[in-house]
Amino acid sequence: MSKLLLTTLATTCVLAIPTLAHSRQVTLTAQLKNYGGDGAYLAAYLTDAKGAYAGTLWVAGGKAKYYKHLSNWNRLSAGDAKRLNGVTGASVGAGRTLKVTADLADALIDAGYEIRIDAAVEDMRDSPSDVRVPLSTGNAGKPQAGKQYIRTLTFQLQ
Amino acid sequence: MGWKAIHRWLGLTIGALAVVLGITGAILAFDPVQQAWQAPAAPGDLSVATLAERVTRTIPGAEEIRHLPSGAIAVFSFDGDQARASYVDPADGRVLGAWQPSALPRWVKNLHRSLLLGDAGRWGVAGIALAVGILCISALVLLLRRMGGWRRLVARVRGSLAQRIHVATGRVVLAVLCLTSLTALTMSASTLGLVALDAGTEPDVVSVASGQAALPVGQLPMLQNLSVRDLRKLNFPDAADPEDTWKVATIQGEAWIDRYSGQTLARQDVTLAQRVYDWALVLHTGEGAWPWAVVLAFVGASVPLFWLSGIFIWWQARRQAPHITGNSPLAQADVLIFVASEGGSTWGFAQTLHDALSHNGHRVYTGPLELFLTTAATRQVFVLAATYGEGQAPAHASRALERMTKLSANAVPVTVLGFGDRQFPAFCAFAEALEKTLRAQGWPALLPLECIHRQSSQQFARWGQTLAQALGEPLVLEHVPRMPPTTALTLVSRQDYPGFADQPTAILRFAWPAQSAWERLHGHGLAHFAAGDLVGIVPPGSAVPRYYSLASGWEDGFLEICVRQVPGGLCSTHLLGLQPGDHIAAFIRPNRGFALPRTRQPVLLIGAGTGVAPLAGFIRRNDRHTPMHLYCGGRNPERDFYFGSEIQHWLVEGRLTSMQTVFSRIPEGGGYVQDALRRDAERVRDLVAQGAIVRVCGSRAMARDVAKTLDAVLAPLQLSISQLKAKERYAEDVF
Repeated sequence: MSKLLLTTLATTCVLAIPTLAHSRQVTLTAQLKNYGGDGAYLAAYLTDAKGAYAGTLWVAGGKAKYYKHLSNWNRLSAGDAKRLNGVTGASVGAGRTLKVTADLADALIDAGYEIRIDAAVEDMRDSPSDVRVPLSTGNAGKPQAGKQYIRTLTFQLQ
Repeated sequence: MGWKAIHRWLGLTIGALAVVLGITGAILAFDPVQQAWQAPAAPGDLSVATLAERVTRTIPGAEEIRHLPSGAIAVFSFDGDQARASYVDPADGRVLGAWQPSALPRWVKNLHRSLLLGDAGRWGVAGIALAVGILCISALVLLLRRMGGWRRLVARVRGSLAQRIHVATGRVVLAVLCLTSLTALTMSASTLGLVALDAGTEPDVVSVASGQAALPVGQLPMLQNLSVRDLRKLNFPDAADPEDTWKVATIQGEAWIDRYSGQTLARQDVTLAQRVYDWALVLHTGEGAWPWAVVLAFVGASVPLFWLSGIFIWWQARRQAPHITGNSPLAQADVLIFVASEGGSTWGFAQTLHDALSHNGHRVYTGPLELFLTTAATRQVFVLAATYGEGQAPAHASRALERMTKLSANAVPVTVLGFGDRQFPAFCAFAEALEKTLRAQGWPALLPLECIHRQSSQQFARWGQTLAQALGEPLVLEHVPRMPPTTALTLVSRQDYPGFADQPTAILRFAWPAQSAWERLHGHGLAHFAAGDLVGIVPPGSAVPRYYSLASGWEDGFLEICVRQVPGGLCSTHLLGLQPGDHIAAFIRPNRGFALPRTRQPVLLIGAGTGVAPLAGFIRRNDRHTPMHLYCGGRNPERDFYFGSEIQHWLVEGRLTSMQTVFSRIPEGGGYVQDALRRDAERVRDLVAQGAIVRVCGSRAMARDVAKTLDAVLAPLQLSISQLKAKERYAEDVF
């Protein structure tokens, strides 16, 4: 467990420095369904080939007391003190689209990493890993359907 | 700022927003009630393991079981790609129907908690909740002050309709409203991030695969020992993730269970903050406690009632409040004028004195007598006190005397000026009581007590001259009495009675001019009135109105009075000289203690001479045929049996149940009305024992004799007139 954590922290540093030499910009586009509720809390994060947490890409929704409803992300990222650094925004309304960009090290692409999004809506059921899509060149630009709140997740590499 | 000012201004301003919260809150209370009827509650002693086993049998894709606040069981599952949420029957796991978090549109809840303004709105709503809390506390202080302490809290509320609604509703819902505000603040504190509810980060635990198959849910020891009563929710492990665990949330905390060994991997107890929050949630929303939700709905719906009646009270008070212009702050004033006034006319004299003293360079403060006190800056105090009824204090100053006896005297002279009417035996009795108390307490006086008869401007001016000498400064008190706005009434018809000697009498019926809705809304024109209220009539050449009891109500469509010629009387001469089509200037003065409340109790009406007029008005509007019994006295049925033929007619119609008439100037006439009461002692006792309400109208001497007779008649019942008066069952209108 502790070895995993070390690599996790290392990768997070890579994620956090946007002007790194060998990095590529990735744009996530998550379109939500019309699920008929309040704005959704979303946490987009990366896991490695073994399913271990590798860093947070974006958290939509500002109230920390609701983060426990993004249960997988909340549990996996618990050891990451910087998980919210510069990557939070407002919750996303039903039917709306979230579009965020992040700089990822080249080494993360086509290396078994996976983008996951946990979603939660007040008074409705939590949806950990609502959508999962492997971070590979082949998947770029292909919409991936989500389980409950997310209609599709698409990522573009630049 | 006093409690009253806090209550008034918070209520008028933030109250409007509180209305939004009250109405939406009342609507939201619908949810817990509806949910209570939607699905059966699970038996509390059912084990969670058994429940989960039943659910897995009927819903293979189950992911989560929730024990809802209503007691029902909801299951979240996936049916292929389709997310489902269903009510299940805890007895056999059968699906009962789709579950929805709320039957109401989302915006209702969002309007309630954030005014649809996001986080800023949440802060705003928390502010409103705080304001409501302060409103409740100030309301309690004012309520205790008004009712006269905790023990009198349940006593009858007096005052205008708006005041009665405001106060009577207030004392019922105050505690719940206060609780609602407190719980709202508790919930806001966590939502706004001021209080953390979580027990810290979740433990990072995994199920350890040891080659064996996962345990069926029914065999998990922890769930076998857990009853549904304590369950909040149970999350199934993800089928695709071999390391995932069972997660169970109970009212005590959370636990994670290994899916292979069934062992509890970690536990986390709920924090104290979370427990407080859970309680606040139940108390605020009524979820899981539908009878409480119904209570909350009523309390929420009462908020608009409070706000509207509050606005009305404020508006009425503003219209009626004496406006002292040029008032100095109390702390800086060297002259203080305290006023006790029933109808408001004494305030006019106070203003005249106020202006004259201010003109001389004094800093003058004028306020109501109940605020009586002196400050370091005070050099002179004047008390202008009117007397009400049988020597009582005006209502607003009813406890002023008591308050004064508790204040220790100092060297500031306090001068009392009384106002009254010499035709009453208790002329200036309240002013005299004040004077006596002040001297007994040791306060010096600049001038001895002086009593102004019938608002005499001349007498007031003379007192001003004495005051000027005592103060050693020029002072002219020129008082022009203020008159309430009058309406021109037109005489429609008159019914003449010969009366006796030079005292002819007539029943005069007037019409009032048509009033537009706009005028009504702004309180212009003639005020609404009921039989028993008074009409003030200002005769030409006089500034002082005379009052007559009304023999009709607004609903009758005419204004009727019975006027007897007073020898040399300015007003009665004028009125009796009127011909149909002539006009008079008049205004309405409510006579709240005397007007008849809506009642099912029998009513005993006792009147003599023209005093039968308001009683006739009561009978005329007795559409509900409440048993009314009239004792009516005159001198000679040929000359002064006012309303005689109408009363006969009302008897036939059933508006009047019985009538006893007595005439003092004819043989076998029966004497006076009190003689008739004495003869009917048995019957009168019966009526009073049944809870009868008594109204007496006539001359002062007649009312005194009637009271004396009734005291004797009621003695066997251990009842007295003063007891009946205290219960508002006995009232007099005397002239």
